[in-house]
Amino acid sequence: MGLLTDLRSSISRATSSLFAGTEPKRIGIYGPPNAGKTTLANRIARDWTGDAVGPESHVPHETRRARRKENVEIKRNGKSVTIDVVDTPGVTTKVDYKEFLEHDIEEDDAVRRSREATEGVAEAMHWLREDVDGVIYVLDSTEDPFTQVNTMLVGIIESQDLPVLIFANKIDLEEASVQRVSNAFPQHETVPLSALEGDNMDEVYDKIAEHFG
Amino acid sequence: MPHQCTGCGERFADGSKEMLSGCPECGGNKFQFRPQGADVPEEPEEPKSGPQPEPADDPQESSVAETVGRATTRVRDFVSGGDEPDPNAAWPDERDATGDVGDDGEIIDADARREAGTDADAGAEDAAQVNARSGLAAPEDVPDPDDPAGAGDEPPAAGGDPTDSADASDGPPAAGDDRVVSEPSDEDPDLAELREQLNDQFESIKIVEPGQYELNLMELYDREEYIIALQENGRYVIQVPDQWIGADVDDR
Repeated sequence: MGLLTDLRSSISRATSSLFAGTEPKRIGIYGPPNAGKTTLANRIARDWTGDAVGPESHVPHETRRARRKENVEIKRNGKSVTIDVVDTPGVTTKVDYKEFLEHDIEEDDAVRRSREATEGVAEAMHWLREDVDGVIYVLDSTEDPFTQVNTMLVGIIESQDLPVLIFANKIDLEEASVQRVSNAFPQHETVPLSALEGDNMDEVYDKIAEHFG
Repeated sequence: MPHQCTGCGERFADGSKEMLSGCPECGGNKFQFRPQGADVPEEPEEPKSGPQPEPADDPQESSVAETVGRATTRVRDFVSGGDEPDPNAAWPDERDATGDVGDDGEIIDADARREAGTDADAGAEDAAQVNARSGLAAPEDVPDPDDPAGAGDEPPAAGGDPTDSADASDGPPAAGDDRVVSEPSDEDPDLAELREQLNDQFESIKIVEPGQYELNLMELYDREEYIIALQENGRYVIQVPDQWIGADVDDR
């Protein structure tokens, strides 16, 4: 609980003045494959609009095109924040159709998925350059966060001066270590959550409103 | 004093060993040869200041321009040729069979590279090296370890020369054939090499083989154009910024 208390107490370190104006901010949900980006996007969209963003799956690269849910209005502490949630394909440096074969996908289909996933990564990187106002970087907290992809993407986001929140997802799993995630990116705020179970979503929305409002 | 450092103007005698590890004064490693009797200016000449390229406003843009500039011509062909690239359009090597395609790089043909006998990890290796590495030697070409004289059933022409073994993998070598390099049968090896070069230049996505890709995230991020579709045959469809097309037409 100490961690949660700490995080809650840090709410006062608001950076809400980063953006002025009323246009919805485009918030890109980035991260490696299978971190739970679509589950999170769906959770946010369902909580505030009733709709979903896209299908969730255990198969990596299920999301192969960036999907946007516009005008998601999040009400927090009497204020309301409107964002466009952009769910992006998982970013990786290698895509191999053989990965899909393990999930009982036929070879032809696996090759096609692999190609689409690669296009999706290219698209996600392009969006990061041109089209997002802020980033939610989602990590699977049961996995080692010290990877080349994570370091590179967070570095790019920092170089763009984009506001960023690190989400340590899947805290409902036993092997989850939020501390490991926050150690990996001490310069950014880490928010623990389980998008699947809906754990700690109150804080998630507080932080979104605070950082991207 | 035949050699002068282009960095600080320091001069060196012909054959001076000092220069070999760089100029001891400034560390520079470019020297201009000044024959005896020629005028030697005290200061190194300024680099030719012809029409300098316009400095880009933004260093990022500049690096992008540099990286992708070579692809522009080919991209323009795609773009000005119509809204949709023609999937049946000729390959660059087909269109430019006379050469001069080495500077363009928006297209990679993974299939053809594979067919040409190179593999993705081959790097700068030529087809013969790859073949030698991956090909299997026919048993009769391997010298019998018990028989150093090489007097097997079929005496090897060059005493078990490894290149001969490689050759044998493509078929039985003709007697007395002194060719040691087996060439890809279906394609000019120069083209295979060329494709390798193109691949190196357009390195944001490397098609190892259909369904297997390696992505250079920094390159993908750094580029103004972006890849919309990877096609079955290993081609890309890319979207380019409008200003590229305009600027290039103006240059003509």
